[in-house]
Amino acid sequence: MDQPIVITHVSAVSCLGTNLGEIASSLLTPPRIGAVQNFEFHSLPASQPCFPVRDFDPEAILGKKGLRTKDRATKLLLSALELGFKSQFESASDESRPGLSIGTAFGSVSSIGDFLSDAIVNGSHNVNPQAFANTVINSPTSNANIRYASRILSSTVSTSFNAGLDALAYAVMFLRQGHARCLIAGGLEEISYYACTGLAATGLLSPFGSLLPFSREAAGTLPGEGCAVFCVETEASAQERGATVIAEIAGIASCFDPKRGPLGYDPDGHGARHAMKQACVNAGIPPEEIGFVAASANGVAAADDMEALALSDLFPKIPIAAYKSKTGECMGASPCLSMACALADMKAGRISGLGSAYPLRRDVNLVFESIPVASKQYALVNAFSCDGYCGSIVLKNRT
Amino acid sequence: MKKDRVVVTGLGVVSPIGTGADAFWNAACKGVNGIAPITAFDTAGFRTSVGGEVKGFSPEAYLSPDQISSMGRSSQLAASAAKMALAQAGIDITQQDPYRVGVSLGTTMGEPQILEQGIEMIYRARNSASGLPADLPAKYPCGVISANVARSIGACGPVIMIPTACAAGNYAIGYAFDLISTGDADLVVAGGSDPISKIAFTGFNRLLATAKELCRPFDKNRDGMCVGEGAGALALESLTHATNRGATILAEVLGYGLGCDAFKMTIPDPSGSGGILALQRALDNAHLSPDQVDYISAHGTGTEENDKTETLIIKAVFGQKARSIPVSSIKSMIGHTMGAASAIEAVACVLMIDRGVILPTINYTEPDPECDLDYVPNSARNAAISVAVSNAYAFGGNNSTLVLGKFGG
Repeated sequence: MDQPIVITHVSAVSCLGTNLGEIASSLLTPPRIGAVQNFEFHSLPASQPCFPVRDFDPEAILGKKGLRTKDRATKLLLSALELGFKSQFESASDESRPGLSIGTAFGSVSSIGDFLSDAIVNGSHNVNPQAFANTVINSPTSNANIRYASRILSSTVSTSFNAGLDALAYAVMFLRQGHARCLIAGGLEEISYYACTGLAATGLLSPFGSLLPFSREAAGTLPGEGCAVFCVETEASAQERGATVIAEIAGIASCFDPKRGPLGYDPDGHGARHAMKQACVNAGIPPEEIGFVAASANGVAAADDMEALALSDLFPKIPIAAYKSKTGECMGASPCLSMACALADMKAGRISGLGSAYPLRRDVNLVFESIPVASKQYALVNAFSCDGYCGSIVLKNRT
Repeated sequence: MKKDRVVVTGLGVVSPIGTGADAFWNAACKGVNGIAPITAFDTAGFRTSVGGEVKGFSPEAYLSPDQISSMGRSSQLAASAAKMALAQAGIDITQQDPYRVGVSLGTTMGEPQILEQGIEMIYRARNSASGLPADLPAKYPCGVISANVARSIGACGPVIMIPTACAAGNYAIGYAFDLISTGDADLVVAGGSDPISKIAFTGFNRLLATAKELCRPFDKNRDGMCVGEGAGALALESLTHATNRGATILAEVLGYGLGCDAFKMTIPDPSGSGGILALQRALDNAHLSPDQVDYISAHGTGTEENDKTETLIIKAVFGQKARSIPVSSIKSMIGHTMGAASAIEAVACVLMIDRGVILPTINYTEPDPECDLDYVPNSARNAAISVAVSNAYAFGGNNSTLVLGKFGG
């Protein structure tokens, strides 16, 4: 890249915690699987195992004012920003307050679906007009933009389960082009009746209540939710602000795989391979320089097979972390939550393992027991979606 | 950083007044009103029953039966427009490096009809989702629109959906501009798409933002916007790529700018702060001064607040020159096509630049003292345009301006 784009801060609202320290600790504990069933207008036929953000109390983080009309997706984003960036927003001038680039697969599909359900149940003429504003997909980002009075950028990106990674790509481009010097970018998703119902109907959910990436028994994934956001800025901006650099976005690549196999994934993994290779090319490093890979694997056999095949070609011996076993499939937020996990592991000097070993579908160097991170500086984070979106990001450790 | 220029070589449009650039252009030059009673759903009891529906759209002309059945309406509109744009550009994707071809699209509602269909099925089944077709949910997330377009044209490069509501088309074209000018792609199909939807119609009616009969931007008697649908697509490529293949260049993308109100979700900042920022940043990005602008394609929705604020924004940026720059809103003819709006307006700007005619603002009968610019009332006007700017504003105070220019070699 022309000028280094660096990450200087991370904030999250997730089942693993809200900052890199908490996430690093949580990665060493068993998966925190919960369940959901009842929502405002609908109920799932049975309790759905998932990875919710437990004990989420937005009022405690954000105060009561203005929350009544905000949906869960918006509250997750606002909370992550409040916890991580409140002082940065408050201390910056109008012109330098960071803009936002946020990825989400659905926006708040709860708001959209409930608005429609309300119209069916109570009549179109009786729906709450205030609720309409929450039905646009950019509503969470825009609400955050308004709360923190950012004048530079308010962009929402929606590329299925790759949305968070593509929101980072959008931010990196915005910085490279000189439109801004400092942005906050990340991914966001809420657990909702509509997403759970859609994933179930599509056949993506695990019938066993477990999420075992690359497992020989892999039969589906479990939904998760959360938000992870990063302060991304030019190296010069970080130096001027005196910000501590955590990592560098050394390379990022997005591409599209038009071939559709089982559940939408290309069994040959052409796009996955291209994204990983191109991210390394953009970083100016050979694949051998990658210390470990944070896989996109989510327990969906077709997805895991595709990624395993591509990994075995490009990174046959490199340790593979599969963080979705601890976060769930957080859809548009997943790439950013995986990235936060990778950064937490890099900072802790290890690659956290999944725990008890299980038979694998293919020959993947999956890390079950935590191991020290190699002396290599780089990690690769993958995001591959059933819609054909493929993306990879190379992080260079700067801690 | 090496930067290449970005040019427009193909256009695609599906609109309430015509499908295809020529049909759209001919109707728009005549000031055809595309607003009519909505047929897609029951509008009884609402404040209005009219909108800008696309009539007689046949996706079969552009897509295979399998492709059509796998897509929602928004994807069908977008993919059709994309194919038109590539056809005009004379590009055979199979002759390109597919990883150098991208798609950048915007939308407001995505594929709302899919969700509407699913929820209605659930209610009909007494709150059971067990009968949902397995392929229905996958058609809903708005990211499938750009994925469907990419798949239908064979693009394997950067593919993105930027759903920033009613400014989404400009955001998408802006990102495509950056992808090409930095060398990350040679060719990007950029634009936006939105279908007519019950949710948008209901929402804007409940906000009392809809016009009863006609869309009358900047008119004293304007009473709101008309919900519409459509898609616009532009084949954008690097000047090097276009020149090497001997393409006919229709116009050049000169730059874009974004700016945020940081005010309210559904109401523009009355001071126009975000719109002013977007316009100024766009001109800066294009290395142009306000004096060099010949035409402004207005967001011009026909709502009291938007038109007043947009007039103020134009005056703030252009000063005395504001009164002498023609400003028009094609929403007067096609309604507000949401995420497609600024993409269709970009298509219109390219046509105006290429053909030397400014499209009118129709339904304009009585000047508003607070909207006192030259809105090109009711009739198209011959005029040479070297530089056009196109404004698009959105829920959440997401403002954007795109700058297009005549290609001068």
